[in-house]
Amino acid sequence: MAESMIRVRKLTKRYQRGGETLTVLDKLDLEMEEGRFYALMGPSGSGKTTLLNLVGGLDTADDGELIVAGENIAELSADELAHWRAANVGFVFQGFNLIGVLTARENVELPLKLTPLSSSQRRQQAETALKLVGLGDRMDHRPRQLSGGQEQRVAIARAIATDPKVILADEPTGDLDRKSAEQVLDLLVRLNREFKKTILMVTHDPAAAERAQSIVHLDKGQLGRIEHNQPVGAAR
Amino acid sequence: MFKLVVQNLLSHPIRSLITAVSVAVALFLICLLTSIVTTLQSGLAAASATRLVVMSSISLFVDIPLSYQERIAKVDGIENIVKWQWFGGYYKDQKNFFAQFAVDPERMWAVYPEVKVDEATKQKFLTQRNACIVGWQLAAEFPEWLETGKVPITGALFPHPSGEAWQFDLAGVYRSEAANFDNRTMFFRWDLFEETLKSTGDAPGVGVYVMSVEPGADIERMKAEIEGMFENGPATVRCDTESEFTRQFISMLGDIPMFLGWIGAGVLVAILLGAINAMLMAGREQTHDVGILKALGFTNSAAFGLLIAQSLVLCLFGGALGIGLAAALEAPIALAIGSAFPGFFIADSTYIQAALVSLGVGLAAGAVPAWNALRVNCVEALRAKGA
Ligand SMILES: Nc1ncnc2c1ncn2[C@@H]1O[C@H](COP(=O)(O)OP(=O)(O)OP(=O)(O)O)[C@@H](O)[C@H]1O
Ligand SMILES: [Mg+2]
Repeated sequence: MAESMIRVRKLTKRYQRGGETLTVLDKLDLEMEEGRFYALMGPSGSGKTTLLNLVGGLDTADDGELIVAGENIAELSADELAHWRAANVGFVFQGFNLIGVLTARENVELPLKLTPLSSSQRRQQAETALKLVGLGDRMDHRPRQLSGGQEQRVAIARAIATDPKVILADEPTGDLDRKSAEQVLDLLVRLNREFKKTILMVTHDPAAAERAQSIVHLDKGQLGRIEHNQPVGAAR
Repeated sequence: MFKLVVQNLLSHPIRSLITAVSVAVALFLICLLTSIVTTLQSGLAAASATRLVVMSSISLFVDIPLSYQERIAKVDGIENIVKWQWFGGYYKDQKNFFAQFAVDPERMWAVYPEVKVDEATKQKFLTQRNACIVGWQLAAEFPEWLETGKVPITGALFPHPSGEAWQFDLAGVYRSEAANFDNRTMFFRWDLFEETLKSTGDAPGVGVYVMSVEPGADIERMKAEIEGMFENGPATVRCDTESEFTRQFISMLGDIPMFLGWIGAGVLVAILLGAINAMLMAGREQTHDVGILKALGFTNSAAFGLLIAQSLVLCLFGGALGIGLAAALEAPIALAIGSAFPGFFIADSTYIQAALVSLGVGLAAGAVPAWNALRVNCVEALRAKGA
């Protein structure tokens, strides 16, 4: 069996709402293998986004252990966490979250500014990533000048530009039409197969989930069944 | 990151331009107001503490007798004495305002070595009875004087017996290097003045006597002696050093320096509020972007920097524009307000002060939005977009 990339132990996350405490994740245990493509499914409000944000170090847990890419991220300070994110995770969001005033190339270059690369190296790497997602001819377009599917592919290029180990995608196809969604899913599968990225993708779409190697079900903060479309530990 | 700063500013070109221009206008005004005050103060600083001025103890506008000159000259420690009389005339039209004085030509340069003329001008002024000299700024305003060599002045206080204007021959142009002696005054000879008026009426009185003092003389004793000499009339006088005398003029301006200071402060507050408003708007619009940046691994301080840098770029750009404008317009302004504020200039310290003010406005305007950006919770900021 391959190394584990994400290891979650007794992970608890609560929100205070009014006087009430809402326990979104309750002592969750989960293990995800390096180089595998997981889909995370579950009803709305089940805590999928919350889990993804915790794994990606965007949010902090109330309790539990969270080891991602070999780092116990629950113990990192805010700045350490920021540096860790820059080096280890790429995010893809449902709403694309590109910066409107920057071109596609500049958006992709942005996370590279946190690396020691020279500006010409950054440029080159951003162009490589954009070509990989099939947008070699749209590099100087602003997000507003792109279709939703193209925007999401720019976001994917941005997520892989720094060559992170883990890609976290929160309903990446949620706002896209079927065809664009297929393109995005093809890309994610390719990143997993060719570039050995560990991918965790939240989705409501069973067809999208089918493209992953494993489907993890989450319900009311508890782990449900895990389906394997492909055998665990199999040669990929 | 700098690209993002610039792009964010360019994404609202009108707002950025308005903010920068208002900062520019404000700094231009601040440079101007500060310089008026420094100009007044430098006149004061340049005024000699070793020259003495005698005037009527009632008012500057009351004459003192001609006969006093000889008695004052005998006081121990007096080196030279020159009399001044305010002529109060005008050239062609009342609105051509500048000062004219009747003075003793032969002692003028002994008392005022800082007033420079070339030798030919000096000789002409010393030998020709209807000669006059004018400051270079005045000569520049009325170039026809140099062309024709004639300076006709209508005597409003002292009409010429002929009923015409007084006719003076221009001996030349003087150039003062001292801040308290302006370059917009005309001087002509006392003897011509006195004899012309005497031919039909009474001899004129004297406005003030100005004396240079021997090195090491006891100024306080001399002041007391001169005032004491005329204690019993016919006209009582007061005797001050030139710097005390100049200070009276400035206090005649009243609280103008303070008033100008308040205007400057008001202008500053107004642009500060404008700049804060613009930056708060920018900060709100960029909350979502800040969330994205943080998700990508940018630190809280980077988010702070993004907003404060926009504010600084905007305000320093505006400031540079305003300061540049002030520097470019220094000479024309000096000419335009020369009659009210002779020797107007912008001190280096004023430029430095203005640069610091733009820096301060930039920091102050960016502080709140930058602080907000620092505290943005990226999960909430990303959720907030609603998609
Ligand atoms: N900042 C917050 N404060 C209070 N409650 C919150 C906050 N963020 C999330 N929640 C609550 O936590 C629960 C889980 O939210 P989460 O966004 O993780 O669900 P989800 O599984 O991603 O749902 P969806 O499929 O609709 O995106 C929800 O009940 C939500 O209302
Ligand atoms: Mg969600």
